[in-house]
Amino acid sequence: MTLSAKPLLRVEGLKKYFPVRRGYLQRVGSYVRAVDGVDLTIQPHQTLGLVGESGCGKSTVARLILRLLNPDDGTVQFDGREITALTERAFKPLRKQIQMIFQDPYSSLNPRMTVAQSISDGVRMAGIKNKSDQRKRIRQLLDMVGMPAASAGRYPHEFSGGQRQRVGIARALSVSPKLVLCDEPISALDVSIQAQIINLLKDLQAELGLSYLFISHDLNVVSYICDYVCVMYRGRIVESAPATVLFDKPCHPYTLNLLAAVPEATEVGWSPQVGAELQRAVLPDGCAFGDQCPDYGDDCKHEPADMVKVGDGHYVRCWNAA
Amino acid sequence: MDQPNDILLSVENLQVHFIGDGPVARAVDGVDFKVHHQETVCLVGESGCGKTVTALAILGLLKQPPASIAGGRITFDGQSLLDMHQDELRALRGKRIAMVFQEPMTSLNPVFTVGDQIGETVLVHERVSTAEVRRRTIQLLDDVGIVDPQGRLGDYPHQLSGGQRQRVMIAMALACEPDLIIADEPTTALDVTVQAQILSLLKKLKQEKNMAIQYITHDLGVVAAIADRVYVMYAGVVVEQGTTGIIFGNARHPYTMALLDSLPTKKKRGQRLYSIPGSVPHPAYRPTGCPFHPRCKFREPSCEKAFPALCDYGKGHKARCPILFATQDRAEEAHA
Repeated sequence: MTLSAKPLLRVEGLKKYFPVRRGYLQRVGSYVRAVDGVDLTIQPHQTLGLVGESGCGKSTVARLILRLLNPDDGTVQFDGREITALTERAFKPLRKQIQMIFQDPYSSLNPRMTVAQSISDGVRMAGIKNKSDQRKRIRQLLDMVGMPAASAGRYPHEFSGGQRQRVGIARALSVSPKLVLCDEPISALDVSIQAQIINLLKDLQAELGLSYLFISHDLNVVSYICDYVCVMYRGRIVESAPATVLFDKPCHPYTLNLLAAVPEATEVGWSPQVGAELQRAVLPDGCAFGDQCPDYGDDCKHEPADMVKVGDGHYVRCWNAA
Repeated sequence: MDQPNDILLSVENLQVHFIGDGPVARAVDGVDFKVHHQETVCLVGESGCGKTVTALAILGLLKQPPASIAGGRITFDGQSLLDMHQDELRALRGKRIAMVFQEPMTSLNPVFTVGDQIGETVLVHERVSTAEVRRRTIQLLDDVGIVDPQGRLGDYPHQLSGGQRQRVMIAMALACEPDLIIADEPTTALDVTVQAQILSLLKKLKQEKNMAIQYITHDLGVVAAIADRVYVMYAGVVVEQGTTGIIFGNARHPYTMALLDSLPTKKKRGQRLYSIPGSVPHPAYRPTGCPFHPRCKFREPSCEKAFPALCDYGKGHKARCPILFATQDRAEEAHA
């Protein structure tokens, strides 16, 4: 990655363990290590892809960045300021600069609020007090996301999934953020609508200079839209590289697995390169991927390997890649 | 290939309407397709295009009312399914035609063990001893690649992972060695790596058990991976059909072409994606003429009036677009 002087977001050693309570007394039995030491850097105007399977901790990372959850360890720096230690009151103005788009536009819009009402909260928060200015701004936002001005007075149920996602995007943009966290923004949409939303996100990025954290399990979309990609597995980032490098020269065995599993519409008769389910039920020592890795060796039993640099901006958490 | 006795399932001009308070929703509006013995056929389309309703109509699982089968014929191995009595149909379901549903957590019963649920399918259709049922259940779990099948028999669905649950669903479908498995988006709720496992499992089982698979999905990548032949559905009709190679290499319907163009891939980095304008029409408010015309870049005035005929390109490739059929050059150009 070409490291510019000042990244927009820098996440270091982020950890979140959720307690698992058991039994009648609800004692804490063990912890789920949802996010276990994640480092990320997002440059201004760039799109960082965070990929991985369900349960690997992708969404938790987004929630930690936005402080919807409090991290157990690690720091988040936004625009040069450390935000993990701020009080809620001190963080509030910063939250305007980091917004989120959710996966399911059906459940993330309030069904009892019109589109204008949903967006106007943000517009007010952005400091526009005058009613007619607010209306003007709402119209402008709707126009930006390609919705007709007449939709302002309508309710979410009157729209299709793609239109609702556009409203969700307009709401996120209402406070003029710098960073937008997109948590699976197109997975719930129809195939023919996905391209519309992807194009919209790209247009908005060019127009407003936004940065995205793009969370997805759809590797085809990530390979298309992202500048830099981090692959997450069991709470850790196992490989990170510029998108072109990652998809052409993946190094980590898990990334290879993941890429081999993606069916592409261009490959007729593709047959997946995978066998049966994972055999070792107990997590091995050391590397979290050990139980499925064909090259699991003695080295891998040590502490999980640190990220090893294998190329320009290309880091891998694997002994065998070095 | 097209010998009449080679055809396992044929659906002709199927029409399924839903009648409620509002206007009639014509969910399936004249669908034709065939599944041959030992063939994998994909029905591909977006949500609301009628793929699932078609599958449910085949199995007689639609609740009538509100649904009503307004016309058409469904023939399975020479028998008309729509004329069958419920009891006959029940004897057929699970035995000769089995279904795998999208969400294994909601289609498995949470209060019975997986062993009971798989065994039930066998018990309903065959007179066998409980010991034999147990033996077969273990064999089935082993066939679908579940590690330690004996130990899993007593597990409840919540104790299994999503992929394991879907394997159990497939084991249930396989229980009586059916001729046809209808799989309705069986991998949509799963992770890509698990999806790859399930797809390769289905491919392998199809070979071993000489089954036909009717696979329903919206994911074109999955279609390319698994299908022998493809039917592309839009707004309750089949708009294009052909072998997988033809559909992905030489599509002749504007909808299929647009769908393929709109898929993001790493090769298209930096280019703008083609996006289909508008959205899928509601089943009760479909446009007149060609259902795709409001979103089509090749539309002509005639598209609004006449329902397009199926144009034959030979070798089983048919597309419902007379405009592109008449002007083949333009299609070439659009493809270039």
